[in-house]
Amino acid sequence: MSVTAQAAAPRRLARSRFTFDRLEVLGPLFIIPAILYVVVLVGLPFLLALYYSVSAYSIFNPSYTFVGLKNFREVIDSEIFRRTLANTLIFTISAQIIGLLLGKIGAMLLMQEFPGRRLARALIVLPWAVPVSLATLAWVWMFDSLYSVINWTLLAAGLIDPAHRPQWLGQEDLAMIAVATVHAWRLFPFGVVIFLAGFTSVPQDVLDAATIDGAGFWRRNYQIILPIIAPIIMIAVIFGTVFTFTDLSVVYLLTKGGPINSTQVLGSLAFQVGILSGDVAHGAAICLFLFPFLLVAVILLLRSLRRREI
Amino acid sequence: MRSEREISRSSVTRRGFLKRVGATAGTVALAPAVSLPFVSTALAQAKTLKILQWSHFVPQYDKWFDGFAAEWGKKNGITVTVDHIPHLELPARAAAEVSAGAGHDIFAFSGSGGPHLYEKHVVDLSSLVSEVEKKHGKVHQVGRQIGYNDDTKVWSALPAYYISFPGLYRKDLWDEVGMKPDSWEDIRVGGAKLKAKGTPIGISLGHSVDPNLSYRSMLWSYGASECDQTGKRVTLNSKETLEVVKLVRAIYKDAMEPEVLSWDDASNNRLLASGRGSWIHNPISAYRSIQKANPELADKIHVWKTPAGPVCRLACGSPNSYGVWRFARSKDTAIEFLRYWTDNWVAVFEASTGYNHPLFENFVPTPMPILSNDPTSHPADKLQVLQTADEWHATYGYPGPAGPASDEVADNFVIVDMMAKAATDKATPEEAVAWAQKETELIYRKWSAA
Repeated sequence: MSVTAQAAAPRRLARSRFTFDRLEVLGPLFIIPAILYVVVLVGLPFLLALYYSVSAYSIFNPSYTFVGLKNFREVIDSEIFRRTLANTLIFTISAQIIGLLLGKIGAMLLMQEFPGRRLARALIVLPWAVPVSLATLAWVWMFDSLYSVINWTLLAAGLIDPAHRPQWLGQEDLAMIAVATVHAWRLFPFGVVIFLAGFTSVPQDVLDAATIDGAGFWRRNYQIILPIIAPIIMIAVIFGTVFTFTDLSVVYLLTKGGPINSTQVLGSLAFQVGILSGDVAHGAAICLFLFPFLLVAVILLLRSLRRREI
Repeated sequence: MRSEREISRSSVTRRGFLKRVGATAGTVALAPAVSLPFVSTALAQAKTLKILQWSHFVPQYDKWFDGFAAEWGKKNGITVTVDHIPHLELPARAAAEVSAGAGHDIFAFSGSGGPHLYEKHVVDLSSLVSEVEKKHGKVHQVGRQIGYNDDTKVWSALPAYYISFPGLYRKDLWDEVGMKPDSWEDIRVGGAKLKAKGTPIGISLGHSVDPNLSYRSMLWSYGASECDQTGKRVTLNSKETLEVVKLVRAIYKDAMEPEVLSWDDASNNRLLASGRGSWIHNPISAYRSIQKANPELADKIHVWKTPAGPVCRLACGSPNSYGVWRFARSKDTAIEFLRYWTDNWVAVFEASTGYNHPLFENFVPTPMPILSNDPTSHPADKLQVLQTADEWHATYGYPGPAGPASDEVADNFVIVDMMAKAATDKATPEEAVAWAQKETELIYRKWSAA
């Protein structure tokens, strides 16, 4: 008995010494910072937003009086909000389509062997790496009513009438195209990286077999490559949708939601009402309209992803 | 070449890595606790004053202010820090400082989103204002609108100055059409003639600050306003507003280019600087920039009062004020500095080259320096009309007080969008006015319940 006890002591010591070598300890230990990060920086603000949205809290009167769904009703009552909601959907969907299409084309080009390919791959990440404020300011000048380089080029090419130059940030439809394009330009490197990763994961022998069987460029692309890389694209769409739906920087820097709220998105309106005007409760209510849309979109995409994996 | 054993010995083990990380984290966590008593003693001994204000449109004013504050600090043994940020970032910064309960001692509010919104977070400066009134004369009506709450009898900020909104026009071009831009009707008629000659006028119809001020000026001159004198009842839906909306539509179609729909606050300055513009509604900063970049063009640009309407001549000035946060560490020092600043107002005025307009009766003697005789302008009395700016300026909320509701109407660009909807035929003038009335009522209703 005593021999057993004596032997158990060093074993316990050894066990405690090697606690950090055990997967069941180390795993949770490593995941805790990530969980804390999500809880503190995402979970708590979300709960706070929920709380604010049913209160009368404002900077003018910081009281937490419960008002039920009054803020939501008042927000929906505003034509500006209803237009903003529609704009957000248009902005998100169009920026996704443009960004992913450009990403796919870019990735296909970068798959080819050509001199300076490595430099081109590095440069393509620039729109993502450059701070959004700087990049958007460059676009502001490109869309400027007087000095637009885009208009200058179109004029030089004889494609537009000098008397009717497009007002990129002044006409409602063009302004939406402009903000969606700039956002798509920011997403484009992400799309390129995702598609590049996808393309490299397609087995070469499958492609070779398809080519021998007579599959051309389009058939290889749409019937072999795309189905194989679809799960990766879905992830890109989820990330892109979340980034775009919650973005306010491009709109705020380019148009401040104008003209006539034609580019106002939920993020910029929530900032305008909640921060600039100090009406935190209504700002939170506007923000929370993002949540059901994002939740539904993410669930649908993840379900589609799981089905494909099965 | 190293052996496998050597490599294994020299590489980082999981346990070793965790130990080192733990030790580093522990040291970092303990460092502030260990040094806190020494740091807090040092902080208590050093007197500091932190000021935040916008990067002034006249850069030399910032230079002067920084030197002025530093010199005052030196005289009084106080370390003064002055931070400057773009004016559009001020509201978000104010919200951040209030949320954190920390930041600067003095906060310079500019434009909408000012002291009324933050009334519960700033020190009541009533005694300072009354002291300044005794010394420098009565506070101007714009000053009361900026800082005073008639319901609570609180001065939540010291009215600092307002930025005037006169008309800047190309005298040579207006002379050619035999007119002077003295009324809004002149702007419509003369502007149409000048646009036909390739030199349009320009007022932004985009989401920026300038049109918020310009279209309010226009409404008031025609006897219209977003609310009544109490600041509680929305009065936008009126025949006077309708008349203005129709006028703006006519001005947009006949005297302006569609580019105004995309303009930011610098675009009208650029139009004038390009030599293509014949009139803009803007502070004199546009003229000052052109003086430096193109003196020949600057000589052709003249300054005249805001255009008159059938009821009155009234412009919406851009309000500026100084608030002292309740959480400020140096409240008394902050108030002391503001007192000193008001005692040196002629220097303030001169440093801003006449851009900052006084809000206390006797801050600046008449004839006013610079405005009565500006040696950099040709003729030297070009700016003299601005000496009477007090008579033709009000600010947000007129004829009532400014407040969170009037600020939000401005922040949401409701008045600007009302004009833009009608100008671009997205709505009839009647529909545009009804839309703006509804949106403004929603905003006023929720703030009246706050």
